[in-house]
Amino acid sequence: MSVFFLYPVFLLGLLAASLPVLIHLLNRRKLKRIRFPAVRFILLSQKRISRSYRLRHWILLALRTLAVVFLALLLANPIFQTGAGLFAGGGPVSLVVLLDNSLSMTWSGDGNGFKQAKDAARLLISALNDDDRAAIVPTNITGKEPFRLKAQKDVLLRELDAIEIADGTVNLEAALGKAYELLNVPAGQKEIRFITDMGLTGWDQFSLAGLKQVDPSIPLKLIHVGRKQTPPNGSIKEIRLGSPGIGANLPLQIDVTVANFGESELKDVLAQLSIDGQNKEQKLISVPGKSESSLRFQTRLSQPGAHAGQVTLKKAGLAGNPTTNFTLDAQEKLKVLVVDGDPQTSVVQSETFFLSRALNPSGERDASIFLPTVILTDGLNTATLDGYQVLILCNVAALPESFTAKLQSFLRQGGGVLIFAGDKFQADSYNQKIARDLPGQLGEKKLGPEANADKIGKFAAKHPALQFLADPILEESIKSARVWGYFRTTAGGQAPLITLANGDALLLEQNVGAGRILMMTSSADRDWTDLPLKTVYLPLIQSLAQYLAGGNRGALDGGIAVGAAKEIALPPTLVGKNLRVTKPDKQTAEVAITAEKNRAVASIEENDRAGIYRVSLPVGGEKNAGAPQMYAVNPPLLESRLDEISARELQAKLSPIRAEVIPVDALKEGGKRTDLALPLLALLIVTLLIEGWLGQRF
Amino acid sequence: MPNGDKNYFDPKVLAGISNLALRARWVVEGLMSGIHRSRAKGFSVEFEEHREYSPGDEIRRIDWKALGKFDRYFIKEYEDETNLRAYLLMDASASMNYASDGITKFDYGCTLTASLAYLILKQQDAAGLVTFSDHIESFIPPRAKRDYLTQILGALEKRGAAGETNVGKILEDIAGQVKRRGLIVLVSDLLDEPESILNGLRQFRFRGNDVIVFHLFDQAELELPFDGNILFEDLEAANLQVIADPRAIRTTYKQVVQEFINDMRKQCRDNTIDYQVISTATPLDQALASYLSWRG
Repeated sequence: MSVFFLYPVFLLGLLAASLPVLIHLLNRRKLKRIRFPAVRFILLSQKRISRSYRLRHWILLALRTLAVVFLALLLANPIFQTGAGLFAGGGPVSLVVLLDNSLSMTWSGDGNGFKQAKDAARLLISALNDDDRAAIVPTNITGKEPFRLKAQKDVLLRELDAIEIADGTVNLEAALGKAYELLNVPAGQKEIRFITDMGLTGWDQFSLAGLKQVDPSIPLKLIHVGRKQTPPNGSIKEIRLGSPGIGANLPLQIDVTVANFGESELKDVLAQLSIDGQNKEQKLISVPGKSESSLRFQTRLSQPGAHAGQVTLKKAGLAGNPTTNFTLDAQEKLKVLVVDGDPQTSVVQSETFFLSRALNPSGERDASIFLPTVILTDGLNTATLDGYQVLILCNVAALPESFTAKLQSFLRQGGGVLIFAGDKFQADSYNQKIARDLPGQLGEKKLGPEANADKIGKFAAKHPALQFLADPILEESIKSARVWGYFRTTAGGQAPLITLANGDALLLEQNVGAGRILMMTSSADRDWTDLPLKTVYLPLIQSLAQYLAGGNRGALDGGIAVGAAKEIALPPTLVGKNLRVTKPDKQTAEVAITAEKNRAVASIEENDRAGIYRVSLPVGGEKNAGAPQMYAVNPPLLESRLDEISARELQAKLSPIRAEVIPVDALKEGGKRTDLALPLLALLIVTLLIEGWLGQRF
Repeated sequence: MPNGDKNYFDPKVLAGISNLALRARWVVEGLMSGIHRSRAKGFSVEFEEHREYSPGDEIRRIDWKALGKFDRYFIKEYEDETNLRAYLLMDASASMNYASDGITKFDYGCTLTASLAYLILKQQDAAGLVTFSDHIESFIPPRAKRDYLTQILGALEKRGAAGETNVGKILEDIAGQVKRRGLIVLVSDLLDEPESILNGLRQFRFRGNDVIVFHLFDQAELELPFDGNILFEDLEAANLQVIADPRAIRTTYKQVVQEFINDMRKQCRDNTIDYQVISTATPLDQALASYLSWRG
């Protein structure tokens, strides 16, 4: 039951209701003095009429005030409405029905809240009169979609049927803004009905200031599809990689965090991992109320390349998004050619023992992403670098003539080279043959007693190859390493990545063509340093090798939220071409690749459904583009949260719009609307007549 | 009362009155001749006509000379001027000094009194004047001399209206001083207790006087034609004030005034007192003429 006004600006006229009182007060102050002989008759008259006079006086004052009030109200044209339904009377109506089709509607109402919401919308549309007009606006719009008010009920009902649950969050600003835009037309009566579960998530991001136009005079009624009881409420908060990399046939660990939004514990929820549609593993997990718990899946991928994964929560009656998508990019094994310049009969004492163990600790073929091949210096003459991503030279005295050209070609095509020094290492030979490619000019050899070894002073913690040193244990480990033999270098183009405490460089970098060289001025084994014995050695070698191979160890991508844009960086050669995107519902879209600074970018904005989106590069761009073949899109986590906005918060968000919240069931009770103009006119006339009659009697 | 061009003998007034004769309806002493027949025998006797004798007439009134001449019995009829003694009582209290438009009640009353005095004296009756407020201001006993009018007018002009009214008491005082029966003419706004006024008037009636009351009203007193909220201050009692909205009380006020008039009229009628309400808006000649016509 409510009253609203068609022309509320006239309510300002209510201020004039004080005029009769003001005039009365002013008259009282403005006393005229008259000397009069028959005062006794006046006294007698007053005494006689005193009671009735005062009564009539106040009645007159009240009638005059009422007349002004009635006039102001009449001009404002009030409409009295009972019930939440529409519209038995009150003239033609322009109605906008906002239908909340956010994911949380799935779990609202009696368990099928979206159907309830649609039924409510259907009821509203059906109640329209022939001269009424309406529009149905789902809340997942961007605001750019064309809508218009129309009178054809059948069209409106078809539009309603076509609306489906969106996987994203409501865009209330866009939806409400669209409603006001649609109602910015001359119309007798305007109405906005918002059928919603009042999920807190949508309102969190709502600000009235974001709307281009607002008309507080238009009644806004929220038809609340509320829940009968609170179901168990949880969802997957995060999926992340538990293992250091992802490679074909390598152990893969995936950590899943489940959030419980409810007060009570989520018990024995079945979590199921599937990759490429195949069920890989399932586990039970329990999560305390208002808390989070994690579990770890362990599996393997048989093939390198892109894979689509899913973790699904299964529990009867569980409210919240049950399925979360992700993508995996599994790498081929990184082939590393290791050249041992100081082989020994004892494997342990050979120059490459520690290094090859660091690359593949177990020594088994399918245990590491790195596949090292160890050859001796002599083998360089015949060695071919095709198929290797990384070349590691360990204490190789000098580069054979025939190999130098191969090495430079390998570098320019994007290969990575890691050079370790040692007692056999001939700095002059390197300085002469690949001087231009070295990070610095190699100088004198400095070799002291182990007791006088230098510690590592500092390192470039932000360098991609050394970011793993952010772990304090590894940082402490590398700082504890000592170096007593190394080649000094003169300053090169770039600052050293690792520097000894005395300021001499230990690790330097130089980009060559598409490839790069890392130069370790000490040995790869224990001859000149105790670094191979330190904890940090293994991650250091793996990180350097991975960096030299292009930095990609495979990745798990949790994807983006529904509605967010996905930006894909591409080689500049693809500018002007189109990227093809296949959505989860198999629909395809072409996305233009545009230039942005010195790169090409494709921005995919229509991520309106949860699932896996597959990306097809244009012809000629498939190779080495670095672009993902697929990406995951998931509903926003908070859309699984069933908390509702309170009436107070709602009013604060909408102020000065006055919103009324009505239970969805109230719609069935129908409603009636009465234009109060005529009754008010009658009241005004009656008031004036009585006033005139009483005034005459005075 | 201001002097100047005030003329109590306005020709218009006098023209209206001189064509009429003042007739006493009630002659106390019973002596009446001419228009004013009186049961009392007057001092001045003038022959009027003969009429034939009829049985029952006094024999001493037979005109023996006419018998000798016409051989028939005639009775000799005489016309005597009534020896009317009129007391003109003029209210000179402050309440009389009110005028809503032009002439005050006091001025109007004085004109009326002077006109009556002139009329009475012209008919060779005796006219006296008493002016009073809460006490007797002046007392001029009745005389029938024509030049006595000057004295009466002088007394009227001597003072303006002032002081409070106490009509009832004054009437009782004057009644005590009037030794011979006559005509009492009271010109007043009667703003006193009605019962007290009537008591005073009855005193005159008990003593056999004929009483005429001219009840003066200003038109504003009858209609209360004011607008807005007004502080009314009494002309006589300085501390008597009242705030009123005339529009709101007008109807009731008129009723109250009318009731007062009706009550006075009824009481006067019951006591055979002539009572005439006169508004100061009424032309004086018209007021006098209508009264005298009615009186006639």
